[in-house]
Amino acid sequence: MATDPDAALMVAFQGGDETAFRSLFEKHGRAMVAFCHHFVRDGARAEELAQDVFLKVHRSAARYQPSARFKTFLYRIASNHCLNELRRGEYAARRAVESAEDGQGEPTDPDSLAGPAPTPEENMLATALGEAVEKLLGQLPEKQRAAFVLGRLEGLSYEEIADVLDTSISAVKSLVHRATVAAAAALAPYAADGKEALP
Amino acid sequence: MSHPVNELTAYLDGALDPAERAEIESHLARCEACQAERDRLVAALALLSRLPPAPAPSATFEQRFYARLATEKAEARERRGFLDRVAWRWLAPGLAGVAASVAVVLYSGARQRADEVFLAEHIDLFESYEAVASMDVVDRPEDVQVVEHLDELREGRP
Repeated sequence: MATDPDAALMVAFQGGDETAFRSLFEKHGRAMVAFCHHFVRDGARAEELAQDVFLKVHRSAARYQPSARFKTFLYRIASNHCLNELRRGEYAARRAVESAEDGQGEPTDPDSLAGPAPTPEENMLATALGEAVEKLLGQLPEKQRAAFVLGRLEGLSYEEIADVLDTSISAVKSLVHRATVAAAAALAPYAADGKEALP
Repeated sequence: MSHPVNELTAYLDGALDPAERAEIESHLARCEACQAERDRLVAALALLSRLPPAPAPSATFEQRFYARLATEKAEARERRGFLDRVAWRWLAPGLAGVAASVAVVLYSGARQRADEVFLAEHIDLFESYEAVASMDVVDRPEDVQVVEHLDELREGRP
């Protein structure tokens, strides 16, 4: 695909250009860690999963079709890998423990978070929102979770999500809608006015 | 139109075609329940846009990845080398055997065709039972019987 510079890099890598692969990793590697983190909520494991994804990209380069956007190809591998990870027993067990411990954890220290936040109140709101969303993601069914992360947090279009999850656009509409309704319920305590709405 | 609540998220995401969009806007203009649901979803989307950035990877993330990649490449080379050795040790003799078998089959076929040409060119000899017997080319009893009665076949006798 001539308009997708990443696709051109992937084609160059298919032709044996290892520096093209390095460029793709440098461009998408860190974002991939964030994507995986939405699934496993563990920094070290998210890094391992992101590395696994790029090792798979390296191994399966020959199967890449230049007609597909590289981002779609990458997120398809990543979604399948993260969903498989979630299906492993240890995550199901961990989710059960986390559900039992709801509300008992230590509150996050706002100063420990990366990213600019103009005021302490906004910083605290962002932290609280992050925790609420992470908790929500742990409760969503697999496909809803993947559609929500891809659409709401990674900015993919419905068409791209359908491609990544290998499903129809109408199914994506339904998945994203149900996840967004769940998010509206989970974030309702913060929604009154935003800044003053910390519960 | 019934309450299009299931379409409201796609509507807010701009994922509906113009006709569907117009239909929902028309409904929203007169339905307070759907307006409230839309406002609830809009508020949630606004909050999602204020999420903190995801935690940054550790400083050694890239370095560890390239180390894993190097290990994987080395293992792949080793696997290829092992397969090559297995191929030479086990497959090569097998392939040589197959080639020899094919050569034997081809040679036998050629020899059989030569015998058939010889028989066709000298069919008159087979009219004489004694000649055939002396050539030692017909060994099965039923073939010997056929040769013995060739003259009867020519005369059209049963």
